[in-house]
Amino acid sequence: MKKSKLNLAAGVSIILLFVITFYPFFLLIFGSLKNKMQLVNNPWFLTFPLHFENYSIAFGQIVRPIFNSFVVTFIGIGITLVASALAAFVIAQLELPGKKIVYYYIISLLMVPGFVILIPQFLVVRDMHLYDTYLGQVFPPAANNIAMGVLLMTTFFKGLSKSIMESAKVEGCSNMQMFARIVLPLSKPIIATVSITTGLNFWNNYMWPLIITTSKNVSPVIVAVTRLKANIKLGEGPLFAAYVIASIPILLLFAVASEQFVEGITAGAVKG
Amino acid sequence: MKAISNNGKQGKIGILKSINKYKVQIFCVLPAILIITIFKYYPFVTSVYQSFFNWNGANVKIFEGLGNYKDLLKDKMFHDAIFNILKVCVATILINLTFPFIAAELVSNIKNQKIQKFFKLGFIIPMVVPFMVVILLWKWILAGDYGIFNMLLQGIGLGGFTKPWLGTESTSLGAIIFINFPWIAGLPFLLYLAGRQNISEALYEAASLEGAGTFQKIIHIDIPLLSSHRKLVITYMLIQAFQMFDQPSVLTGGGPGTATLTPALYIYQRAFNYNQFGYSSSIGVALFILVMVITFLNQRIMKESDVMD
Repeated sequence: MKKSKLNLAAGVSIILLFVITFYPFFLLIFGSLKNKMQLVNNPWFLTFPLHFENYSIAFGQIVRPIFNSFVVTFIGIGITLVASALAAFVIAQLELPGKKIVYYYIISLLMVPGFVILIPQFLVVRDMHLYDTYLGQVFPPAANNIAMGVLLMTTFFKGLSKSIMESAKVEGCSNMQMFARIVLPLSKPIIATVSITTGLNFWNNYMWPLIITTSKNVSPVIVAVTRLKANIKLGEGPLFAAYVIASIPILLLFAVASEQFVEGITAGAVKG
Repeated sequence: MKAISNNGKQGKIGILKSINKYKVQIFCVLPAILIITIFKYYPFVTSVYQSFFNWNGANVKIFEGLGNYKDLLKDKMFHDAIFNILKVCVATILINLTFPFIAAELVSNIKNQKIQKFFKLGFIIPMVVPFMVVILLWKWILAGDYGIFNMLLQGIGLGGFTKPWLGTESTSLGAIIFINFPWIAGLPFLLYLAGRQNISEALYEAASLEGAGTFQKIIHIDIPLLSSHRKLVITYMLIQAFQMFDQPSVLTGGGPGTATLTPALYIYQRAFNYNQFGYSSSIGVALFILVMVITFLNQRIMKESDVMD
Protein backbone atom coordinates (compact mmCIF):
# COMPACT_ATOMS: atom_id res chain seq x y z
CA MET A 1 0.00 0.00 0.00
CA LYS A 2 2.71 2.41 1.06
CA LYS A 3 4.86 1.39 -1.88
CA SER A 4 2.12 2.01 -4.45
CA LYS A 5 1.46 5.47 -2.96
CA LEU A 6 5.14 6.27 -3.32
CA ASN A 7 5.14 5.06 -6.90
CA LEU A 8 2.11 7.19 -7.64
CA ALA A 9 3.80 10.26 -6.16
CA ALA A 10 6.94 9.58 -8.20
CA GLY A 11 4.91 9.12 -11.35
CA VAL A 12 2.97 12.34 -10.81
CA SER A 13 6.18 14.30 -10.06
CA ILE A 14 8.00 13.15 -13.17
CA ILE A 15 5.01 13.88 -15.39
CA LEU A 16 4.62 17.31 -13.80
CA LEU A 17 8.31 18.12 -14.29
CA PHE A 18 8.08 16.93 -17.85
CA VAL A 19 5.04 19.07 -18.61
CA ILE A 20 6.58 22.19 -17.03
CA THR A 21 9.78 21.60 -19.00
CA PHE A 22 8.03 21.21 -22.32
CA TYR A 23 5.08 23.54 -22.09
CA PRO A 24 7.06 26.74 -22.81
CA PHE A 25 8.28 25.18 -26.06
CA PHE A 26 4.73 24.30 -27.03
CA LEU A 27 3.71 27.88 -26.25
CA LEU A 28 6.43 28.97 -28.67
CA ILE A 29 5.17 26.70 -31.43
CA PHE A 30 1.53 27.66 -30.79
CA GLY A 31 2.48 31.34 -30.75
CA SER A 32 4.35 31.02 -34.02
CA LEU A 33 1.05 30.10 -35.69
CA LYS A 34 -1.05 32.95 -34.27
CA ASN A 35 -1.91 36.46 -35.30
CA LYS A 36 -1.78 39.36 -32.89
CA MET A 37 -5.31 39.01 -31.47
CA GLN A 38 -5.10 35.23 -31.04
CA LEU A 39 -1.88 35.63 -29.09
CA VAL A 40 -3.37 38.20 -26.72
CA ASN A 41 -6.68 36.41 -26.25
CA ASN A 42 -5.43 32.89 -25.77
CA PRO A 43 -1.71 32.19 -25.66
CA TRP A 44 -2.26 28.87 -23.86
CA PHE A 45 -3.46 26.56 -26.60
CA LEU A 46 -3.45 26.19 -30.33
CA THR A 47 -6.22 28.34 -31.84
CA PHE A 48 -7.54 28.36 -35.39
CA PRO A 49 -7.04 29.51 -38.06
CA LEU A 50 -3.33 28.64 -38.12
CA HIS A 51 -1.25 31.44 -39.57
CA PHE A 52 1.44 29.64 -41.52
CA GLU A 53 2.27 32.89 -43.29
CA ASN A 54 4.19 33.84 -40.12
CA TYR A 55 6.81 31.34 -41.23
CA SER A 56 7.22 32.78 -44.68
CA ILE A 57 7.52 36.30 -43.23
CA ALA A 58 10.09 35.09 -40.68
CA PHE A 59 12.02 33.11 -43.24
CA GLY A 60 12.38 36.19 -45.42
CA GLN A 61 13.87 38.07 -42.47
CA ILE A 62 16.42 35.47 -41.39
CA VAL A 63 17.28 33.51 -44.52
CA ARG A 64 20.57 35.36 -44.99
CA PRO A 65 21.64 35.05 -41.33
CA ILE A 66 20.82 31.32 -41.46
CA PHE A 67 23.02 30.98 -44.51
CA ASN A 68 25.76 32.88 -42.66
CA SER A 69 25.44 30.57 -39.65
CA PHE A 70 25.85 27.55 -41.92
CA VAL A 71 28.95 29.02 -43.56
CA VAL A 72 30.58 29.91 -40.24
CA THR A 73 29.65 26.58 -38.65
CA PHE A 74 31.01 24.53 -41.55
CA ILE A 75 34.28 26.47 -41.83
CA GLY A 76 34.59 26.23 -38.05
CA ILE A 77 34.08 22.47 -38.00
CA GLY A 78 36.50 22.04 -40.93
CA ILE A 79 39.34 24.04 -39.40
CA THR A 80 38.82 22.46 -35.99
CA LEU A 81 38.80 18.90 -37.32
CA VAL A 82 41.87 19.29 -39.54
CA ALA A 83 44.00 21.13 -36.98
CA SER A 84 43.08 18.98 -34.01
CA ALA A 85 43.18 15.60 -35.77
CA LEU A 86 46.66 16.27 -37.23
CA ALA A 87 48.05 17.53 -33.93
CA ALA A 88 46.47 14.72 -31.92
CA PHE A 89 47.85 12.14 -34.36
CA VAL A 90 51.41 13.38 -33.84
CA ILE A 91 51.00 13.61 -30.08
CA ALA A 92 49.44 10.16 -29.74
CA GLN A 93 51.28 8.10 -32.35
CA LEU A 94 54.44 9.69 -33.72
CA GLU A 95 57.86 10.56 -32.41
CA LEU A 96 58.56 14.24 -31.78
CA PRO A 97 60.85 15.67 -29.12
CA GLY A 98 58.93 17.89 -26.73
CA LYS A 99 55.50 16.72 -27.86
CA LYS A 100 54.30 16.65 -24.25
CA ILE A 101 55.02 20.37 -24.06
CA VAL A 102 53.10 20.88 -27.30
CA TYR A 103 50.17 18.97 -25.83
CA TYR A 104 50.03 20.99 -22.63
CA TYR A 105 50.59 24.22 -24.52
CA ILE A 106 47.47 23.47 -26.57
CA ILE A 107 45.13 22.24 -23.86
CA SER A 108 46.05 24.51 -20.96
CA LEU A 109 44.24 27.47 -22.50
CA LEU A 110 40.98 25.68 -21.75
CA MET A 111 41.45 27.10 -18.25
CA VAL A 112 41.12 30.68 -19.44
CA PRO A 113 37.50 31.85 -19.49
CA GLY A 114 36.67 33.32 -22.90
CA PHE A 115 35.51 36.77 -21.87
CA VAL A 116 38.75 37.54 -20.05
CA ILE A 117 40.63 38.08 -23.31
CA LEU A 118 37.67 39.39 -25.28
CA ILE A 119 39.07 42.86 -25.92
CA PRO A 120 42.56 41.88 -27.13
CA GLN A 121 41.03 39.12 -29.27
CA PHE A 122 38.80 41.72 -30.86
CA LEU A 123 41.84 43.93 -31.55
CA VAL A 124 43.86 41.06 -33.05
CA VAL A 125 41.06 40.13 -35.41
CA ARG A 126 40.41 43.78 -36.30
CA ASP A 127 44.10 44.36 -37.04
CA MET A 128 44.10 41.32 -39.33
CA HIS A 129 41.31 43.06 -41.28
CA LEU A 130 38.91 40.29 -40.40
CA TYR A 131 36.33 42.53 -38.72
CA ASP A 132 32.84 41.81 -40.06
CA THR A 133 33.93 38.74 -42.07
CA TYR A 134 33.20 35.02 -41.89
CA LEU A 135 36.79 34.15 -40.97
CA GLY A 136 36.80 36.71 -38.18
CA GLN A 137 33.89 34.86 -36.61
CA VAL A 138 35.62 31.52 -37.04
CA PHE A 139 39.13 31.88 -35.65
CA PRO A 140 39.00 32.74 -31.95
CA PRO A 141 36.20 30.22 -31.19
CA ALA A 142 38.07 27.68 -33.37
CA ALA A 143 41.05 28.01 -31.04
CA ASN A 144 38.88 26.85 -28.12
CA ASN A 145 37.39 24.02 -30.09
CA ILE A 146 40.82 22.90 -31.31
CA ALA A 147 42.04 22.70 -27.73
CA MET A 148 39.06 20.54 -26.80
CA GLY A 149 39.42 18.51 -30.01
CA VAL A 150 43.10 17.78 -29.35
CA LEU A 151 42.24 16.71 -25.82
CA LEU A 152 39.51 14.29 -26.92
CA MET A 153 41.25 12.97 -30.03
CA THR A 154 44.62 12.37 -28.38
CA THR A 155 42.93 10.17 -25.79
CA PHE A 156 41.12 8.29 -28.54
CA PHE A 157 44.14 7.88 -30.85
CA LYS A 158 46.23 6.55 -27.97
CA GLY A 159 43.66 3.82 -27.52
CA LEU A 160 44.04 2.57 -31.10
CA SER A 161 45.81 -0.75 -31.44
CA LYS A 162 49.58 -0.32 -31.66
CA SER A 163 50.09 -3.57 -33.58
CA ILE A 164 48.14 -2.31 -36.61
CA MET A 165 50.32 0.80 -36.74
CA GLU A 166 53.49 -1.22 -36.45
CA SER A 167 52.58 -3.69 -39.13
CA ALA A 168 51.64 -0.77 -41.38
CA LYS A 169 55.08 0.71 -40.78
CA VAL A 170 56.74 -2.60 -41.62
CA GLU A 171 54.78 -2.67 -44.86
CA GLY A 172 56.38 0.67 -45.69
CA CYS A 173 53.42 2.92 -44.97
CA SER A 174 54.40 6.58 -44.55
CA ASN A 175 53.16 8.60 -41.59
CA MET A 176 50.56 10.45 -43.62
CA GLN A 177 49.34 7.26 -45.28
CA MET A 178 48.95 5.77 -41.83
CA PHE A 179 46.92 8.77 -40.76
CA ALA A 180 44.66 8.74 -43.81
CA ARG A 181 44.19 5.00 -44.26
CA ILE A 182 44.29 3.61 -40.74
CA VAL A 183 43.75 6.26 -38.07
CA LEU A 184 40.94 8.24 -39.68
CA PRO A 185 38.74 5.28 -40.69
CA LEU A 186 39.06 3.85 -37.16
CA SER A 187 38.19 7.19 -35.56
CA LYS A 188 34.72 7.88 -36.91
CA PRO A 189 33.07 7.99 -33.46
CA ILE A 190 35.43 10.63 -32.07
CA ILE A 191 35.30 12.63 -35.30
CA ALA A 192 31.50 12.65 -35.03
CA THR A 193 31.66 13.72 -31.38
CA VAL A 194 34.09 16.56 -32.02
CA SER A 195 32.15 17.71 -35.10
CA ILE A 196 28.88 17.85 -33.21
CA THR A 197 30.25 19.66 -30.17
CA THR A 198 32.10 22.11 -32.38
CA GLY A 199 29.08 22.62 -34.60
CA LEU A 200 26.86 23.30 -31.59
CA ASN A 201 29.38 25.79 -30.21
CA PHE A 202 29.55 27.67 -33.48
CA TRP A 203 25.82 27.67 -34.19
CA ASN A 204 24.91 28.83 -30.67
CA ASN A 205 27.68 31.36 -30.17
CA TYR A 206 26.35 34.82 -29.41
CA MET A 207 28.98 36.96 -27.71
CA TRP A 208 31.76 36.69 -30.27
CA PRO A 209 29.72 37.37 -33.44
CA LEU A 210 27.95 40.18 -31.58
CA ILE A 211 31.33 41.85 -31.15
CA ILE A 212 32.97 41.04 -34.44
CA THR A 213 30.13 41.59 -36.95
CA THR A 214 27.86 44.49 -37.84
CA SER A 215 26.43 43.84 -41.27
CA LYS A 216 23.55 41.55 -42.13
CA ASN A 217 25.69 39.98 -44.85
CA VAL A 218 27.83 38.03 -42.40
CA SER A 219 26.19 38.05 -38.96
CA PRO A 220 24.70 34.73 -37.82
CA VAL A 221 21.12 33.80 -37.04
CA ILE A 222 21.58 33.73 -33.25
CA VAL A 223 22.51 37.41 -33.32
CA ALA A 224 19.83 38.19 -35.92
CA VAL A 225 16.95 36.78 -33.87
CA THR A 226 17.82 39.04 -30.94
CA ARG A 227 17.46 42.07 -33.21
CA LEU A 228 14.04 41.18 -34.62
CA LYS A 229 11.22 43.38 -33.34
CA ALA A 230 7.55 42.49 -33.04
CA ASN A 231 5.60 44.00 -35.90
CA ILE A 232 2.84 46.38 -34.69
CA LYS A 233 0.30 44.94 -37.09
CA LEU A 234 1.26 41.26 -37.02
CA GLY A 235 2.29 40.89 -33.39
CA GLU A 236 4.85 38.40 -32.17
CA GLY A 237 3.83 35.46 -34.36
CA PRO A 238 6.52 35.94 -37.03
CA LEU A 239 9.07 36.52 -34.26
CA PHE A 240 8.25 33.15 -32.73
CA ALA A 241 8.33 31.54 -36.16
CA ALA A 242 11.86 32.91 -36.59
CA TYR A 243 12.91 31.38 -33.24
CA VAL A 244 11.53 28.02 -34.35
CA ILE A 245 13.34 28.22 -37.70
CA ALA A 246 16.63 29.09 -35.95
CA SER A 247 16.30 25.91 -33.86
CA ILE A 248 15.48 23.52 -36.68
CA PRO A 249 18.99 22.76 -38.04
CA ILE A 250 20.24 21.55 -34.67
CA LEU A 251 17.05 19.63 -33.94
CA LEU A 252 17.49 17.88 -37.29
CA LEU A 253 21.09 17.05 -36.46
CA PHE A 254 19.89 15.61 -33.16
CA ALA A 255 17.26 13.52 -34.92
CA VAL A 256 19.94 12.05 -37.20
CA ALA A 257 22.67 11.45 -34.61
CA SER A 258 21.16 11.49 -31.12
CA GLU A 259 23.68 9.05 -29.66
CA GLN A 260 26.76 10.96 -30.78
CA PHE A 261 24.96 14.06 -29.68
CA VAL A 262 24.63 12.97 -26.06
CA GLU A 263 28.19 11.70 -26.23
CA GLY A 264 29.29 15.09 -27.53
CA ILE A 265 27.44 17.07 -24.87
CA THR A 266 28.94 14.99 -22.06
CA ALA A 267 32.43 14.36 -23.45
CA GLY A 268 33.48 18.00 -23.16
CA ALA A 269 32.52 18.23 -19.52
CA VAL A 270 33.89 14.88 -18.49
CA LYS A 271 37.24 15.21 -20.20
CA GLY A 272 37.64 18.91 -19.52
CA MET B 1 86.56 31.38 -29.72
CA LYS B 2 86.88 29.13 -32.74
CA ALA B 3 85.63 26.13 -30.83
CA ILE B 4 82.55 28.01 -29.68
CA SER B 5 81.61 29.18 -33.15
CA ASN B 6 82.14 25.64 -34.41
CA ASN B 7 79.84 24.38 -31.72
CA GLY B 8 77.29 26.98 -32.67
CA LYS B 9 77.49 25.89 -36.28
CA GLN B 10 77.06 22.27 -35.37
CA GLY B 11 74.13 23.19 -33.12
CA LYS B 12 72.47 24.99 -35.99
CA ILE B 13 73.03 22.11 -38.35
CA GLY B 14 71.74 19.76 -35.66
CA ILE B 15 68.53 21.79 -35.37
CA LEU B 16 68.10 21.90 -39.14
CA LYS B 17 68.70 18.15 -39.30
CA SER B 18 66.10 17.43 -36.66
CA ILE B 19 63.64 19.82 -38.32
CA ASN B 20 64.15 17.84 -41.49
CA LYS B 21 63.77 14.57 -39.67
CA TYR B 22 60.55 15.63 -37.99
CA LYS B 23 59.18 17.82 -40.76
CA VAL B 24 55.94 15.85 -41.11
CA GLN B 25 55.30 16.01 -37.38
CA ILE B 26 56.05 19.73 -37.19
CA PHE B 27 53.86 20.42 -40.19
CA CYS B 28 51.01 18.54 -38.49
CA VAL B 29 51.11 20.32 -35.13
CA LEU B 30 51.74 23.73 -36.68
CA PRO B 31 48.13 24.72 -37.56
CA ALA B 32 46.87 24.04 -34.04
CA ILE B 33 49.82 25.82 -32.44
CA LEU B 34 49.57 28.84 -34.74
CA ILE B 35 45.82 29.35 -34.26
CA ILE B 36 46.07 28.96 -30.52
CA THR B 37 49.09 31.24 -30.24
CA ILE B 38 47.64 34.02 -32.38
CA PHE B 39 44.09 33.96 -31.01
CA LYS B 40 44.67 32.94 -27.41
CA TYR B 41 48.18 33.35 -26.01
CA TYR B 42 49.02 36.56 -27.83
CA PRO B 43 45.74 38.28 -26.79
CA PHE B 44 46.25 37.02 -23.26
CA VAL B 45 49.70 38.63 -23.03
CA THR B 46 48.60 41.86 -24.68
CA SER B 47 45.61 42.17 -22.38
CA VAL B 48 47.98 42.32 -19.41
CA TYR B 49 50.07 44.95 -21.23
CA GLN B 50 47.03 47.03 -22.23
CA SER B 51 45.66 47.01 -18.72
CA PHE B 52 48.38 49.49 -17.73
CA PHE B 53 47.18 52.11 -20.21
CA ASN B 54 44.41 54.63 -20.51
CA TRP B 55 43.46 53.64 -24.02
CA ASN B 56 40.41 54.29 -26.21
CA GLY B 57 41.26 51.57 -28.72
CA ALA B 58 42.49 54.10 -31.30
CA ASN B 59 44.52 57.30 -30.92
CA VAL B 60 44.72 58.00 -27.17
CA LYS B 61 47.13 55.72 -25.30
CA ILE B 62 48.62 57.01 -22.02
CA PHE B 63 50.63 54.86 -19.63
CA GLU B 64 48.87 54.75 -16.27
CA GLY B 65 50.78 52.10 -14.37
CA LEU B 66 48.46 50.53 -11.86
CA GLY B 67 45.96 53.38 -12.28
CA ASN B 68 43.27 51.19 -13.83
CA TYR B 69 43.57 48.67 -11.02
CA LYS B 70 43.27 51.42 -8.41
CA ASP B 71 40.12 52.66 -10.14
CA LEU B 72 38.82 49.12 -10.22
CA LEU B 73 39.04 48.85 -6.44
CA LYS B 74 36.81 51.91 -6.14
CA ASP B 75 34.47 51.05 -9.04
CA LYS B 76 31.02 50.41 -7.58
CA MET B 77 29.69 48.93 -10.83
CA PHE B 78 32.51 46.38 -10.87
CA HIS B 79 31.76 45.42 -7.28
CA ASP B 80 28.07 45.04 -8.09
CA ALA B 81 28.92 42.83 -11.07
CA ILE B 82 31.09 40.58 -8.90
CA PHE B 83 28.43 40.44 -6.21
CA ASN B 84 25.75 39.57 -8.79
CA ILE B 85 27.79 36.80 -10.34
CA LEU B 86 28.54 35.28 -6.95
CA LYS B 87 24.80 35.16 -6.28
CA VAL B 88 24.27 33.55 -9.69
CA CYS B 89 27.00 30.99 -8.99
CA VAL B 90 25.55 29.99 -5.63
CA ALA B 91 22.02 29.74 -7.07
CA THR B 92 23.26 27.72 -10.06
CA ILE B 93 25.06 25.22 -7.86
CA LEU B 94 22.10 24.78 -5.50
CA ILE B 95 19.73 24.33 -8.44
CA ASN B 96 21.95 21.80 -10.19
CA LEU B 97 22.53 19.73 -7.07
CA THR B 98 18.80 19.27 -6.56
CA PHE B 99 16.42 19.49 -9.52
CA PRO B 100 18.32 17.45 -12.15
CA PHE B 101 19.30 14.93 -9.48
CA ILE B 102 15.69 14.42 -8.41
CA ALA B 103 14.63 14.07 -12.04
CA ALA B 104 17.42 11.57 -12.74
CA GLU B 105 16.35 9.52 -9.71
CA LEU B 106 12.73 9.59 -10.80
CA VAL B 107 13.61 8.55 -14.34
CA SER B 108 15.95 5.73 -13.30
CA ASN B 109 13.37 4.34 -10.88
CA ILE B 110 10.88 3.84 -13.70
CA LYS B 111 10.59 0.08 -14.20
CA ASN B 112 9.14 0.04 -17.71
CA GLN B 113 12.08 0.34 -20.13
CA LYS B 114 10.07 2.02 -22.87
CA ILE B 115 8.62 4.70 -20.59
CA GLN B 116 12.05 5.26 -19.08
CA LYS B 117 13.57 5.79 -22.52
CA PHE B 118 10.79 8.19 -23.43
CA PHE B 119 11.51 10.42 -20.43
CA LYS B 120 15.27 10.21 -20.92
CA LEU B 121 15.06 11.32 -24.52
CA GLY B 122 12.35 13.84 -23.66
CA PHE B 123 14.51 15.69 -21.18
CA ILE B 124 17.39 15.77 -23.66
CA ILE B 125 15.47 17.44 -26.50
CA PRO B 126 15.18 20.90 -24.86
CA MET B 127 18.99 20.87 -24.50
CA VAL B 128 19.19 20.88 -28.25
CA VAL B 129 17.21 24.11 -28.68
CA PRO B 130 19.66 27.02 -29.05
CA PHE B 131 20.05 28.72 -25.70
CA MET B 132 19.33 32.09 -27.26
CA VAL B 133 15.90 30.87 -28.36
CA VAL B 134 15.21 29.73 -24.80
CA ILE B 135 16.24 33.15 -23.50
CA LEU B 136 14.00 34.99 -25.97
CA LEU B 137 11.12 32.65 -25.20
CA TRP B 138 11.44 33.42 -21.50
CA LYS B 139 11.68 37.12 -22.27
CA TRP B 140 8.10 36.81 -23.49
CA ILE B 141 7.05 34.61 -20.56
CA LEU B 142 8.41 37.07 -18.00
CA ALA B 143 7.36 40.26 -19.80
CA GLY B 144 5.38 43.02 -18.07
CA ASP B 145 2.16 43.33 -20.04
CA TYR B 146 0.92 40.27 -21.91
CA GLY B 147 3.64 38.26 -20.18
CA ILE B 148 2.51 34.66 -19.86
CA PHE B 149 3.71 34.39 -16.28
CA ASN B 150 1.70 37.43 -15.21
CA MET B 151 -1.36 36.11 -17.03
CA LEU B 152 -0.94 32.85 -15.15
CA LEU B 153 -0.78 34.70 -11.84
CA GLN B 154 -3.94 36.62 -12.70
CA GLY B 155 -5.64 33.40 -13.74
CA ILE B 156 -5.04 31.76 -10.36
CA GLY B 157 -6.10 34.84 -8.41
CA LEU B 158 -2.66 36.23 -7.61
CA GLY B 159 -3.11 39.27 -9.84
CA GLY B 160 -1.69 41.52 -7.10
CA PHE B 161 1.76 40.03 -7.58
CA THR B 162 2.11 40.79 -11.27
CA LYS B 163 5.05 42.95 -12.28
CA PRO B 164 7.57 43.31 -15.09
CA TRP B 165 9.85 40.67 -13.59
CA LEU B 166 12.89 41.53 -15.66
CA GLY B 167 12.40 45.27 -15.34
CA THR B 168 12.05 45.45 -11.58
CA GLU B 169 15.27 45.95 -9.68
CA SER B 170 14.46 43.56 -6.85
CA THR B 171 13.34 40.69 -9.10
CA SER B 172 15.40 40.99 -12.28
CA LEU B 173 18.37 38.84 -11.23
CA GLY B 174 16.02 36.24 -9.77
CA ALA B 175 14.02 36.27 -13.00
CA ILE B 176 17.17 35.61 -15.04
CA ILE B 177 18.07 32.69 -12.79
CA PHE B 178 14.48 31.44 -13.07
CA ILE B 179 14.84 31.03 -16.84
CA ASN B 180 14.55 27.39 -17.88
CA PHE B 181 12.63 26.38 -14.77
CA PRO B 182 12.56 23.51 -13.65
CA TRP B 183 16.18 23.43 -14.88
CA ILE B 184 16.24 19.73 -15.70
CA ALA B 185 17.14 19.64 -19.37
CA GLY B 186 20.88 20.05 -19.11
CA LEU B 187 24.22 18.39 -18.74
CA PRO B 188 23.85 17.67 -14.97
CA PHE B 189 20.79 15.51 -15.65
CA LEU B 190 22.74 13.47 -18.18
CA LEU B 191 25.69 13.05 -15.83
CA TYR B 192 23.56 11.98 -12.88
CA LEU B 193 21.64 9.58 -15.07
CA ALA B 194 24.85 8.04 -16.46
CA GLY B 195 26.28 7.73 -12.96
CA ARG B 196 23.10 6.20 -11.59
CA GLN B 197 23.10 3.58 -14.33
CA ASN B 198 26.69 2.59 -13.60
CA ILE B 199 25.81 1.57 -10.07
CA SER B 200 25.63 -2.20 -9.83
CA GLU B 201 22.15 -3.76 -9.46
CA ALA B 202 23.59 -6.11 -6.86
CA LEU B 203 23.96 -3.24 -4.41
CA TYR B 204 20.26 -2.42 -4.60
CA GLU B 205 19.29 -6.06 -4.28
CA ALA B 206 21.44 -6.42 -1.19
CA ALA B 207 19.86 -3.27 0.24
CA SER B 208 16.38 -4.62 -0.47
CA LEU B 209 17.22 -7.83 1.37
CA GLU B 210 18.23 -5.75 4.36
CA GLY B 211 14.83 -4.08 4.16
CA ALA B 212 15.87 -0.69 2.74
CA GLY B 213 13.20 1.40 1.01
CA THR B 214 13.65 3.62 -2.04
CA PHE B 215 14.59 6.69 -0.01
CA GLN B 216 17.11 4.78 2.05
CA LYS B 217 18.68 3.42 -1.12
CA ILE B 218 18.99 6.91 -2.53
CA ILE B 219 20.51 8.29 0.67
CA HIS B 220 22.88 5.40 1.40
CA ILE B 221 23.81 4.23 -2.10
CA ASP B 222 23.21 6.88 -4.75
CA ILE B 223 24.23 10.05 -2.95
CA PRO B 224 27.60 8.72 -1.74
CA LEU B 225 28.38 6.88 -4.99
CA LEU B 226 27.56 9.87 -7.20
CA SER B 227 29.98 12.19 -5.40
CA SER B 228 32.38 12.34 -8.36
CA HIS B 229 29.50 13.25 -10.67
CA ARG B 230 28.39 15.96 -8.26
CA LYS B 231 31.90 17.41 -8.23
CA LEU B 232 31.96 17.44 -12.01
CA VAL B 233 28.58 19.19 -12.08
CA ILE B 234 29.71 21.81 -9.57
CA THR B 235 32.97 22.54 -11.40
CA TYR B 236 31.36 22.69 -14.82
CA MET B 237 28.36 24.77 -13.80
CA LEU B 238 30.57 27.15 -11.83
CA ILE B 239 32.64 27.88 -14.93
CA GLN B 240 29.48 28.33 -17.00
CA ALA B 241 27.74 30.57 -14.47
CA PHE B 242 30.76 32.79 -13.99
CA GLN B 243 30.81 33.64 -17.68
CA MET B 244 27.12 34.65 -17.86
CA PHE B 245 26.68 37.14 -20.68
CA ASP B 246 23.85 36.24 -23.06
CA GLN B 247 20.92 36.57 -20.65
CA PRO B 248 21.63 40.05 -19.23
CA SER B 249 22.89 41.27 -22.59
CA VAL B 250 19.64 40.41 -24.37
CA LEU B 251 17.09 40.77 -21.59
CA THR B 252 18.11 43.66 -19.36
CA GLY B 253 21.36 45.22 -20.60
CA GLY B 254 22.61 44.75 -17.03
CA GLY B 255 19.83 46.86 -15.55
CA PRO B 256 17.74 48.15 -13.94
CA GLY B 257 20.67 50.06 -12.48
CA THR B 258 23.28 47.38 -11.97
CA ALA B 259 20.84 44.71 -10.78
CA THR B 260 21.81 42.18 -13.48
CA LEU B 261 25.26 43.42 -14.47
CA THR B 262 27.75 40.55 -14.82
CA PRO B 263 31.54 40.78 -15.22
CA ALA B 264 31.46 39.61 -18.83
CA LEU B 265 28.81 42.17 -19.73
CA TYR B 266 30.69 44.90 -17.88
CA ILE B 267 33.88 44.21 -19.86
CA TYR B 268 31.86 44.40 -23.06
CA GLN B 269 30.11 47.66 -22.11
CA ARG B 270 33.28 49.42 -20.96
CA ALA B 271 35.04 48.57 -24.20
CA PHE B 272 32.35 48.94 -26.80
CA ASN B 273 29.97 51.50 -25.30
CA TYR B 274 32.55 53.74 -23.62
CA ASN B 275 35.70 52.96 -25.64
CA GLN B 276 37.67 52.31 -22.47
CA PHE B 277 39.81 49.49 -23.85
CA GLY B 278 42.61 49.80 -21.31
CA TYR B 279 40.25 49.82 -18.35
CA SER B 280 38.28 46.97 -19.85
CA SER B 281 41.49 44.90 -20.17
CA SER B 282 42.27 45.50 -16.51
CA ILE B 283 38.84 44.11 -15.59
CA GLY B 284 39.66 41.01 -17.65
CA VAL B 285 43.00 40.51 -15.92
CA ALA B 286 41.48 41.01 -12.47
CA LEU B 287 38.75 38.50 -13.28
CA PHE B 288 41.27 36.01 -14.59
CA ILE B 289 43.04 36.13 -11.23
CA LEU B 290 39.71 35.76 -9.46
CA VAL B 291 38.77 32.75 -11.60
CA MET B 292 42.12 31.13 -10.87
CA VAL B 293 41.58 31.64 -7.13
CA ILE B 294 38.05 30.20 -7.30
CA THR B 295 39.24 27.22 -9.38
CA PHE B 296 42.05 26.59 -6.92
CA LEU B 297 39.72 26.82 -3.90
CA ASN B 298 37.17 24.61 -5.64
CA GLN B 299 39.82 21.98 -6.30
CA ARG B 300 41.06 22.16 -2.71
CA ILE B 301 37.56 21.71 -1.34
CA MET B 302 36.94 18.80 -3.72
CA LYS B 303 40.20 17.14 -2.67
CA GLU B 304 39.42 17.51 1.00
CA SER B 305 35.96 16.04 0.56
CA ASP B 306 37.66 13.15 -1.24
CA VAL B 307 39.69 12.48 1.87
CA MET B 308 36.55 12.67 3.98
CA ASP B 309 34.81 10.14 1.75
